[in-house]
Amino acid sequence: MRLDPPLFLPRYRPGVIGLIQSFILRFAGSAQPERRAQTGAMGDKTMKVQHYLGGIEGLGPVKVEKRVFVEPWEAQLFAVHSTMMGTGIWAWPDLRVLAEGMNPLDYFKYRYYIKWLGGICKFLVDRGYLSQSEIEEKTKYFLNNPTAALPNAGNAEITQRVVDYFYRGANPYRDVVTNPVFKAGDMVRVKDMPPAVHTRLPGYLRNKVGTVDVVYKGAYLYADNVPTDGIGTAQPVYLVKFKTRDIWSDIPDTQDVLYNDFFEAYLEAA
Amino acid sequence: MSDDHHHDEDGHHHHLRESETYYAARTKALESLFREKGLIGTDTVDRVINFFEHDMGPFNGAKVVAKAWTDPAFKERLLADANKGIAELGLKDGIEGENLRVVENSEDVHNIVCCTLCSCWPWPLLGLPPYWFKDPVFRARVVREPRAVLSDFGVTLPEDKSIAVWDSSAQVRYFVIPQRPADTDGWSEEKLAALVSTEAMQGLALVSA
Repeated sequence: MRLDPPLFLPRYRPGVIGLIQSFILRFAGSAQPERRAQTGAMGDKTMKVQHYLGGIEGLGPVKVEKRVFVEPWEAQLFAVHSTMMGTGIWAWPDLRVLAEGMNPLDYFKYRYYIKWLGGICKFLVDRGYLSQSEIEEKTKYFLNNPTAALPNAGNAEITQRVVDYFYRGANPYRDVVTNPVFKAGDMVRVKDMPPAVHTRLPGYLRNKVGTVDVVYKGAYLYADNVPTDGIGTAQPVYLVKFKTRDIWSDIPDTQDVLYNDFFEAYLEAA
Repeated sequence: MSDDHHHDEDGHHHHLRESETYYAARTKALESLFREKGLIGTDTVDRVINFFEHDMGPFNGAKVVAKAWTDPAFKERLLADANKGIAELGLKDGIEGENLRVVENSEDVHNIVCCTLCSCWPWPLLGLPPYWFKDPVFRARVVREPRAVLSDFGVTLPEDKSIAVWDSSAQVRYFVIPQRPADTDGWSEEKLAALVSTEAMQGLALVSA
């Protein structure tokens, strides 16, 4: 009887295996024990690789693909997505929740718009805009009839609504009086927030100390329609400056810096 | 999302569901169903594609860079308030650019923009992000080893120049004014703008004449 292969054979997906290995080593093995004991960071929490991309090693060169779309269907899909945005069917946080909820191996494996296609179909079915069976049937129809014309039907008003949306945007700024906790020049520590379905806190900056560079005027709302780790209400946002070597102590000592914008919920006094 | 993808155990066989033909048919199915249900117009897809080819694209950013290179007072206003600055040139802001910030490369500092959590990008000035910006490998590496990533793009900086990486995690979208190349004195804004690539306006290329 032939033995079944291990679940993930490195020779089939070396890039992904290397990624996961380096990721596990970074957080399980190389973190400083006293720091882990103090904060409980990593190791004792569930986590999503998608929240912790910054700093992963062993990935090989960047694919410098300068095109926006590499297949014609991607432009068509992007336009369908834009229509969903412009008519209020969904917003960025909905898409990001789906991307962050993906199997991390698939997240690395599949091209950007392939992931969007899966996410858009799932969302439309979950929210009742389309049924799974009609998507499957119509896909099969166009697979069998690739040159078949699209139905000459639709809502003519929607095109202008979508263009208007591109120029209107969805400004998260709220012109309200705030009492920011921190001021420019303050040292702040990035909180190690509990795991959430969706976050805007990059994992590699958790527990790191930086300096407030700018306190942005007013307040910003992220989203109140998806589950997050504390950014569902309008709040001050800060530009924080880090010395890159304060984030990773094992890199050459240069004058390089890193800036990141934080919602106030993610910071504490250092 | 992974439900659409199937592998056999040796990983060599690719199911029909992983082919470009399949993705194309499924996307066409979505537009077809949207049309049937009145969720999209017959010309919406063409208009959206045309919009990012002609109205909102890197040609806007290049115009801003050329103006900033030739008009120091404009550049100061742009650095102070980017949304007001681009409006002076008749450019509209909008989606993914409601709150823009412009940073400037100099002899001392080189700026690079990224988004480690997703793909935040200044659409009004650059249109849609190219694939490299969305690549998890770029996003993972650029914050820790920006010089190595620049090398993947064919860019080498002087050792003593510091790098500032801007990770777009909240609501501001960043845009880089690259350094003006030497030997371009007296050039028109139009001629200067033609030198400026998308990559240069996020810090992943230099501009040469």
